[in-house]
Amino acid sequence: MLVFNQLETYLYLALILFAIGLYGVLARRNLIAVLISVELILNAAMINFMAFNRFVAPHPAVGQVIALFIMAVAAAEAAIGLSIIIAVYRKLKAINVEQATELRG
Amino acid sequence: MGFNIGSVDPLFLACFAIVALPALAFGTIMIFTWRRDNLSLGISLTCSTIPLILAWWLFFTVKGATLAEPIILQVNWMVSDAVVVPFGFHLDPVSLLMLVIVATISWLIQIYSIGYMEGDPGFARYYADLSLFGMAMLSLVSASGMVQLFISWELVGLASYLLIGFWYEKFSASEAGKKAFVVTRFGDIGFYMGLVFLLYFMKDISLFGLGIADINNIGLTQKLTEAQITLCALLIFCGVAGKSAQFPIHVWLPDAMEGPTPVSALLHSATMVAAGVYLMTRLFPFFAASATAMAVVLAISTITLILSSTIGMVARDIKQVWAYSTISQLGFMAMGLAAAGLAHGTLFAGYYHLTTHAAFKALLFLCAGVFIHHFGTNDFFVMSKDGGRKLMIPMVTVTIAALALAGIFPFSGFFSKELVLAQLWHLDNKLWVGLGLFGAFLTAYYTFRVIFVLLFPRPDDHPAWQTYYVREEVAGHGHGAHGHEEEEAHGSHGHGGHGDHHGVPWVMAFPLIVLAGFTLVLGFMQTRIEKFLLGESHPHELNYLLLVLAVGCALGGIGMAWLDWGRARANWSGFLSKFPMLENFFIQKWYMDHFWRWFLNTVIYGTFSRIFTYNDRRVVDGGVDAVALGTIGSGRLLSFIQTAFLQLNLLFMVLVLAGVGIYLLMGR
Amino acid sequence: MKALFFPFTPQGVATIAFLLVVAFTVVGALIAVAARNIFHNVLGLALSLIGVAGLFLYLNSPFVALMEILIYVGAICIAICFAIMLSQPLYLPGAPRNPLKIQGAVLGAGAVFVFLALLTKKTKWVPAAERSTDWSITTIGHYLLTNYVLIFELVSLLLLVAMLGAIVNARGGRGSS
Repeated sequence: MLVFNQLETYLYLALILFAIGLYGVLARRNLIAVLISVELILNAAMINFMAFNRFVAPHPAVGQVIALFIMAVAAAEAAIGLSIIIAVYRKLKAINVEQATELRG
Repeated sequence: MGFNIGSVDPLFLACFAIVALPALAFGTIMIFTWRRDNLSLGISLTCSTIPLILAWWLFFTVKGATLAEPIILQVNWMVSDAVVVPFGFHLDPVSLLMLVIVATISWLIQIYSIGYMEGDPGFARYYADLSLFGMAMLSLVSASGMVQLFISWELVGLASYLLIGFWYEKFSASEAGKKAFVVTRFGDIGFYMGLVFLLYFMKDISLFGLGIADINNIGLTQKLTEAQITLCALLIFCGVAGKSAQFPIHVWLPDAMEGPTPVSALLHSATMVAAGVYLMTRLFPFFAASATAMAVVLAISTITLILSSTIGMVARDIKQVWAYSTISQLGFMAMGLAAAGLAHGTLFAGYYHLTTHAAFKALLFLCAGVFIHHFGTNDFFVMSKDGGRKLMIPMVTVTIAALALAGIFPFSGFFSKELVLAQLWHLDNKLWVGLGLFGAFLTAYYTFRVIFVLLFPRPDDHPAWQTYYVREEVAGHGHGAHGHEEEEAHGSHGHGGHGDHHGVPWVMAFPLIVLAGFTLVLGFMQTRIEKFLLGESHPHELNYLLLVLAVGCALGGIGMAWLDWGRARANWSGFLSKFPMLENFFIQKWYMDHFWRWFLNTVIYGTFSRIFTYNDRRVVDGGVDAVALGTIGSGRLLSFIQTAFLQLNLLFMVLVLAGVGIYLLMGR
Repeated sequence: MKALFFPFTPQGVATIAFLLVVAFTVVGALIAVAARNIFHNVLGLALSLIGVAGLFLYLNSPFVALMEILIYVGAICIAICFAIMLSQPLYLPGAPRNPLKIQGAVLGAGAVFVFLALLTKKTKWVPAAERSTDWSITTIGHYLLTNYVLIFELVSLLLLVAMLGAIVNARGGRGSS
């Protein structure tokens, strides 16, 4: 059994990508870096979809369609996220997450 | 008894239309057309004419529905555990006959009201309320389950509240509406508790449902103990007593005269008060299973009969007299049913009396309405002096109805009353039939007191007028104070009516004639109706002694009335004035209003109200305040948790999520 | 012997290429989160995304792989670059790292990793009984305009709203001109 013909390979790979992305979201202070990490997480999800599509799904076109939708959503998310980042930068003169503390209790 | 919506039964459709159309009319008028009187009238009339036709169609075409095996079209609205709450229609002779009565009388009253309510600012609202009333009653009559029946029952109460307090600008009218609502609610609590208890008792047996057929099932009454049935039957009878104005919660009915007269007619003949007796008829097999309950019902209805008849003897307001006569006749019906339950008879006597009573009581009220409309007063002495007997059609019809009420051959009341008395005769204790006969005597007396006063006014210079002709004072009593009514009445009086030499518009005269026709005919339909109801008619062995007694009592009452009020030398004082204490007792309505006032003041306001007020101020309000303050305080405290360290929050979320996930996966 | 020659068989070449793609993905992802310079992060992301596109090739969908490069590498990464240029200047030194925070993040990510790995391991993945072999773009297009047309429409609406929102946000709110 070749390594690239196994579902588990892809699942673990996606998992690694997800964990790295999660680490980025939790650790980075730069808002843009957080956004980049979120993109990684989305990609991990997409790999999962494609892998299931390849190995288990009854119809192989469906997963691809969903991957396309994820891409569209990710594009929208990136656009909004970046515009928010720019707005935050205008307001705070910084894009550090830890400095956005206006809602502190 | 599943019902598949997919294959719509024309029968179901007809039943549905009967109930839904008036509801539709109510909604449409209230929401859209309440500014447009004629349009509203058209909608309301259409939506009562179609149910009328459908009801008669059902009455003549539905075959094979018997008391034992009714046609039930229902869906199970709620099935919880083993409790089944069905909604739908229960067609058997009892409900079919009642459907016809209700549809017919409410239709006639809608026609009559065209004339009576003409020019009223609330015309559209009036018709909307009438439609609601009709819908509620039709749904009550055809209900297949007790929950549906109870809902309709309350809707009837609501509609009666709206209609009694129709002229809500007038303080006494809105008070009367409230009184009717609250007093009947008093009984309804009992009804509701009866249902709850019934459901509770049914828990232990396999039959488990609030369908009417379930309750009347012979299996149920055999499996429940006597005490359980008695409790439930008596509690349900509380509701009956409230709606059908039985002692001691009859006090709302005389006050309900504050509504427009056609409403009183509707209330007293086919809808509100009939609902109570109808419920008893509906659950007759259940009620009959408890002799104790039946005995209590018999006692209460007898007290009601005597009480209301005696008050009717001294009332001066024509509507009050008819109101008390309604109470007494309801007492008669309940007596008939209770006696039948005790003596293992059939529900026919009481129910037949309900049928005939519906016709002649509606007639009485509609005639009274004509007089009131014409003279702008409720006092029949004033009507008499102002020439009441010149109104030919209402005078003739009111006399017919009064003869029926008194129980004179060949009018319908004679036959049904004779049946009820025969039912009482079968009881071992002859006291009941004696009291029934006494009630019949009183009924004849007070009815003909009104008729004779109207028919034979004294000459204008007669001293009696000084006592009886009190226009202003009485005007405050009726709805003449409402303004337009009196104006219009005076106007029409002034120039001899609406171009009609009777002074009665045809829309008002037509229902009178139709109802008079019913009053004449219904008596001879006895065998047919019995055959329809019970599937067979028992030839009545004529009890000549009883017959003579009954007719004797009725004629005696009329004769007494003639002596006191009719003959030329009568001094218009009544034999009661020989016993001033008794007369005063009756004028004060047996002090029942005083009793309830006292009861309210001391028990309700004085005790419960104070406790509940305290509870409300301290416990409820305090509790609400404490909750609010607690929320604010804890919010303040917990707001320190919001540190604005976004990633820290996220970290904890992720950790908890992963922790829970791992924990769940460990065991597998 | 067989193992020695394996890299030179077609499967062997494919495997080596696969490992390369995986390395691209993982190393790119690591650069994307770990590098201190934000611009390096973007480059790392692009590298990782190219790797993901390679994975999609292995997963039989060249169309999605192309889209991945087109949309992610071509559009999103460029957009992020614009955002970097519009925000903080690159020559400013970043704040020093907080070791506690990094440990926490590693712990969190590790915990999730363990959880999902356990889940993956303990689940029995069963392929569908009947599987179609139709991977064509034609079918995807067909699906997009039949079964999934509602989502398709919704996504177009979403993109429109996102566009408007981005414009409003980036211009500094509703009040400014």
